[in-house]
Amino acid sequence: MTRLTCPFCGPRELCEFEFHKTVPAPGSVDEYARTYLRVADAHLSIEHWQHVGGCRAWLQVQRNPSTGAVLAIDMLAGEPR
Amino acid sequence: MSAAPGFARRYSAWSLLRARFAGPGYWRPLWSGRRLQPAYDVVIVGAGGHGLATAFHLARDHGIRRIAVLEKRLVGYGNVGRNTTIVRSNYLLPENHYFYEDSLRRWETLSRDLNYNVMYSPRGVVDLALTDDAMPALARRGNAMRLAGIDAELLDLAALERFAPELAPRRKRRFPLAGALLQRRGGTVRHDAVAWGYARAASALGVDIIEDCEVTGVSATGNAADGVETTRGHVKAGRIVFATAGHTGLVGAMLGTPLPIETHLLQAMVSEPIKPLVNSVFVYVSPGHGETYICQSDRGGLVMGGHLDGFPSYTREGTWHRLEDVVQGALELFPCIGGVKILRQWAGTNDMTMDGSPIMDRLRHDNVFVNAGWCYGGFKAIPASGAAFARFVATGTAPDLIRAYRLSRFATGHMLDEPGYGPFPVRL
Amino acid sequence: MSAAPARSGARLGPGELTFTFDGRRYRARTGDTAASALLAQGVRVMGRSVKYRRLRGALGAGAEEPNALFSVGEQPLLIPNVQATRLVLREGMSLRSQNRWPSLRFDLASLLQAGGGLFSAGFYYKTFIWPCWRRYEGLIRRLAGLGEAPRGCALPMAAIEHLRCDVLVIGAGPAGLAAARAAARAGASVVVCESEPACGGELEFESALVEGLAGAEWIAATLAELAQRGARILTDTTVVTDNNGEFIAHAEPGGLPGRNAVYRIRPRSLVSAAGALEQPIVFTNNDRPGVMLLGAAERYLARYGTRVGRELVLFANHDRAYASARRLLDGGMRVRAIVDTRDEGTVAAAGALAPLRAELAAAGVALFSGHAVTAAVGRRAVAAALVKPLGTDGAARRIACDTILVSGGWSPALHAGLHGGEARAYEPRLGAFVPAEPPAARVHAGGANGRLELGAALADGHAAGARAAAGTGAVAGTDGGAPPQAQGDPPPRLAPFARSPCSVADEKRQFIDLQNDVTVADLRVALAEGFIDIEHVKRYTTLGIGTEQGRSSAVPGAAILAELRGVTPADTGTSRPRPPYQPVTMQSIAGFHTGEAVMISRRTPLHEAHVAAGGVLEPMGLWMRPRYYRANGGNAFDAAVAEARRVRAHGGIADGSTLGKLEIAGPDAAAFLDFMYLSKASSIRVGRSKYMVNLREDGIVLDDGLVLRLAEDRFLATTSSGHGTHMLSHFEHHLASQWSGRGVTVTDVTDAWAVIVVAGPQSRSTLAQVLGAAWQRSLAGLRHMDFADGLHAGHALRVLRASFSGELAFELHCRPALAVPLWDTLQSAGLSPYGLEALDILRIEKGYLVGSELNGQTTPLDLGMEALVKPGQSCLGRALLDRPAFHEGTRPRLVGLRAADGRAPLLAGAQLTTDAASTRPCGYITSSAYSPTLGEWLALALLARDRAVEGGTVTARDPLRGGDTLVRVVAPVHFDPTSARMKA
Repeated sequence: MTRLTCPFCGPRELCEFEFHKTVPAPGSVDEYARTYLRVADAHLSIEHWQHVGGCRAWLQVQRNPSTGAVLAIDMLAGEPR
Repeated sequence: MSAAPGFARRYSAWSLLRARFAGPGYWRPLWSGRRLQPAYDVVIVGAGGHGLATAFHLARDHGIRRIAVLEKRLVGYGNVGRNTTIVRSNYLLPENHYFYEDSLRRWETLSRDLNYNVMYSPRGVVDLALTDDAMPALARRGNAMRLAGIDAELLDLAALERFAPELAPRRKRRFPLAGALLQRRGGTVRHDAVAWGYARAASALGVDIIEDCEVTGVSATGNAADGVETTRGHVKAGRIVFATAGHTGLVGAMLGTPLPIETHLLQAMVSEPIKPLVNSVFVYVSPGHGETYICQSDRGGLVMGGHLDGFPSYTREGTWHRLEDVVQGALELFPCIGGVKILRQWAGTNDMTMDGSPIMDRLRHDNVFVNAGWCYGGFKAIPASGAAFARFVATGTAPDLIRAYRLSRFATGHMLDEPGYGPFPVRL
Repeated sequence: MSAAPARSGARLGPGELTFTFDGRRYRARTGDTAASALLAQGVRVMGRSVKYRRLRGALGAGAEEPNALFSVGEQPLLIPNVQATRLVLREGMSLRSQNRWPSLRFDLASLLQAGGGLFSAGFYYKTFIWPCWRRYEGLIRRLAGLGEAPRGCALPMAAIEHLRCDVLVIGAGPAGLAAARAAARAGASVVVCESEPACGGELEFESALVEGLAGAEWIAATLAELAQRGARILTDTTVVTDNNGEFIAHAEPGGLPGRNAVYRIRPRSLVSAAGALEQPIVFTNNDRPGVMLLGAAERYLARYGTRVGRELVLFANHDRAYASARRLLDGGMRVRAIVDTRDEGTVAAAGALAPLRAELAAAGVALFSGHAVTAAVGRRAVAAALVKPLGTDGAARRIACDTILVSGGWSPALHAGLHGGEARAYEPRLGAFVPAEPPAARVHAGGANGRLELGAALADGHAAGARAAAGTGAVAGTDGGAPPQAQGDPPPRLAPFARSPCSVADEKRQFIDLQNDVTVADLRVALAEGFIDIEHVKRYTTLGIGTEQGRSSAVPGAAILAELRGVTPADTGTSRPRPPYQPVTMQSIAGFHTGEAVMISRRTPLHEAHVAAGGVLEPMGLWMRPRYYRANGGNAFDAAVAEARRVRAHGGIADGSTLGKLEIAGPDAAAFLDFMYLSKASSIRVGRSKYMVNLREDGIVLDDGLVLRLAEDRFLATTSSGHGTHMLSHFEHHLASQWSGRGVTVTDVTDAWAVIVVAGPQSRSTLAQVLGAAWQRSLAGLRHMDFADGLHAGHALRVLRASFSGELAFELHCRPALAVPLWDTLQSAGLSPYGLEALDILRIEKGYLVGSELNGQTTPLDLGMEALVKPGQSCLGRALLDRPAFHEGTRPRLVGLRAADGRAPLLAGAQLTTDAASTRPCGYITSSAYSPTLGEWLALALLARDRAVEGGTVTARDPLRGGDTLVRVVAPVHFDPTSARMKA
């Protein structure tokens, strides 16, 4: 993975983007769980990134952390943080 | 309580001389050749530094006889052989510096304890400050260390120049240097030797080290685990220890317990060998580039590392742009090495916890133990971790040295957030 | 200087030059490499090995060279470890051999050889234990290493170029050129990277006809066609790694750092046609100068007209050796013998070979089949070869020669990084590993695909190029045409043979990895010790980790390991290669980001004014800020004290432009800020401002600053200097997630507003004078924390009455264009600038947080803000603030400290303990300053709550810088606790 495709800007160099965090486990209502616990899945990582060196959009990126393949990129919207 | 390992061949200059005349057949396998048994008192998952050291101490200090270390691939194939070999105990928080100091003291004598030269080289670890403003934070850390009986010195610019003339501290730079925190007893250890030395010593005490044996599940009766499923069949176990750095989040998922861990890549690289130039370990953090650390191996290669690649990964394939960052940082420190070449680049997977400190606790079952979340610090922790964790596993009570590393600390608010980054392995 | 005989070769230019090697002058032709020139002048010893310090000569003719590494130039600008086989000479170049002291001829450390067997693999793990490693390390460090460390570097910045293309072809040998041509003809855009300075690969020396043209002519014609079709050919350029689909190529013209460049190439598909690497055969003393790869000898002859020896013995396991012998004979060298490991029946089975063999025999070449060279004889260089029949106990024959040329077959060049994670399969026919199942959009061709015969390689390359172009969907141009037809050397028909038999004792002198002195005996030791897996063997013996990246050792190492283990190389595999495939200078990797350009500087609009005023600037993040002004004192302490004193007495001005400034606007702006901050922004009235803190998700204080309400639906939030970008992202993240769809925008206006702080008793009167009548009323009407917007000199100006010094003070927020005139006018009106050090003094006197208290570890409760923390708040981070640990007596609390004797200095970073005997800290000094106002040192500290009793004493312990100081705990506000001055 050396590029991400920003839904707004198109394909851009990876160094324009910053990863922030992986999303918490679905259904973790507890503030502690939402803040600290992470989903570990060898084949799917759902992550928040920002296109800081571009349009500054916040993105939800789905990747396969075992291969580096990008599975989907969407604008972040309405997600629990 | 303590038994000396019964080595088939004790290592010494004398043994080398004997082998010279006896031929290579004189030597004996360090650990291989054991058969997997159907049941053990303790099964340790992962033959890296922590797993092997835990096995060694369980056998030596606690007299536990039936121990197996199950390894998916090879002894020492994970982070113990992929790090930048730095050992130090220059931590701020007491929970950390007492622990890492225990480790550093063990490093000092480890070669003798294991009868295996792990090449502990106390060449000094130098944390550089870019501005006078940054000195108080170093002083805070160094003073805390000194009060705990750990060596630390605060170097102003003149002292830094005396200690590390190779750095040319007064050279004009985009980010100037103002001083440093020095720990002279910090330094480097030959990383592979640690895995091999512990494996050999554990094996000599009767520990079965089984390679190419992947653990795929934990079997349980009621609330207690009773064994592990492996690629070589079910193995009964009285107690189970996970020391699977880089994969602990997945172990948590396997047990249905989400953990405060994200797994990230950390790269390291080494230059072609050159004659001695860099005589200590230098740690340099500059705005924009993040961290660079550099030391020179005894073979002559400049060993460098930096910060995380920046996103979760199990690929062990680092990105080129992080390599650029590290090299740029290294050239800031030592502009003279511009013509020296990078020879190899590699990466390890780091289990990053949400406060940057490790987790040593039970996991899900009373008899399942997890030793994890070492972030960048796993290598230097090995000797203390092995000794303390073995005691935890053997007695069921975590010794004081590691009690703060309990998993519940995030829920209670007792985080050990040394750098103050909060619950984000990659700082926003 | 010896006379250089006339030579002619494809790479030689017409000119002549001289260079020095170890202080002696030599002659060379332009285009010569160091190795070709030295060999031509009879110099065979080019270095010593690292471990045993054995004399070594060149093994190869290119990037595979493990031995002949030179230091180029003189200190301080010396460049170490340059392969003599790649280094193209320039006039006056000064070269030195490595790993020897005092000279190449006599090296003191070579006496270590006497200890031979002692230093087997891993010997250092077994000794140097007593008393400690450190005792021995210094000596070992000096013995190890290759070249000298450079003391300086004057290399220019390396260019980095980004390229996009349909097809990237690695390698411009026959297969690569055929592939590039086929792809270009199909309409694909093509980039070709060739490691060598010239294209053609083995066509450079193989006597071949391609499409009816001689090799050199076909190369020229193909290159011309490629150029005409717009293909880009990068010579001297090696693809060093696959950065996840982006290929990093490193250009190093002439084999010496200086004109390097890095290409980052993003092709749609890849043809890997990097050829195959000739592999040596291991025999006793195979490291002697004079033992060389057969193909290297051919290259030296064809490229440079250099004869690598006079009397040659060829040692090989394939047919190609006979054609080579013919060419070497034609080149004027005497071939004494060809030693073929294959039995006579196998050799004779190829009828086509018979005439050539007869011809060679007639020319006086002794032909041995079923034989092996078992040892090189000669102490400092090869004097003879020992030749023995294989499989029988026949007597050894001694054949006098000065050169033994070995060829053990070819191993497809599987680039590190390109194929590191890809499957490789052992091909017994080749005795090497070939790529298996490359991923889509990658094609291997030619030698890299195990096609060693010219015709097959060309056809394979042609097909690969067409396939790669088709994969990119390139619009078909002309038809790719038929694959090139060629006549070249016959197929090699090789029979894998990795090493000659020898006694166990001699295995200590059978070298597999020449650079690291790894012998067969070392492999035996490793196996005896249970290091069986190739990865373990590599790490334990250092096999294949040399600067030539295992090109000449990894495959024989795997084969010999297999032999010793009694398995096949398919079982051992090879170790995982690590990028870069060829070492890359750090200067090249760093690109433009070196020296002053390593990172941008952020400068405030007042930067030049600070410089002109003698401001001492220091970095704060990327910002440059004035610490103090030289005019006010000879050092930071004196100047800051003078500046602070002046602010309290009269007044002063400071640059606050680095404060982060975020504008939050929209109908939901107030509600959003109520969520983001601990206290309510919605309660701020328009025209007022409020000091607010915000929390991280985990309840820790993230930042503090003033929030101004510009309008009902518009706020300006200031952040700490250097935190602006972080805070912006933080706000944006929450806006994009649970606040998405709400009516709020956040805009970074940090650079849009310069900030001048005017502080001190005279600030209001001076401002009134400077801003003139238009501002009289608003200035007079401003209460503490009020602001007013207006115009000054036609530019927008906001005057905020707020104080971080404890004095009556104003912040002027103005457009950058107004900053310098305003600053100058304020100075003319009698206010002098003060720097950050003085500001710190003023803040500490007043008990304001300096910054080190917000260290990512403190809660608002720790900082004495319990008034802000109320039950039922729903702002970010609030929930986790209720965790029990945050309410324990050991949590810190912000306090003020003064020395008990009123005199002793207090230094930030000192630890606090209950008494001088205690080693358990209960707090630490976060910031400190000498207060000129109060005439003593003051400090702010975080002290455990159960100790933070005003009037109590604790000990400040500072073993790093001094001793213990008894200190009194006081309120954080040291000066003007009622804030009378500020509110005046």
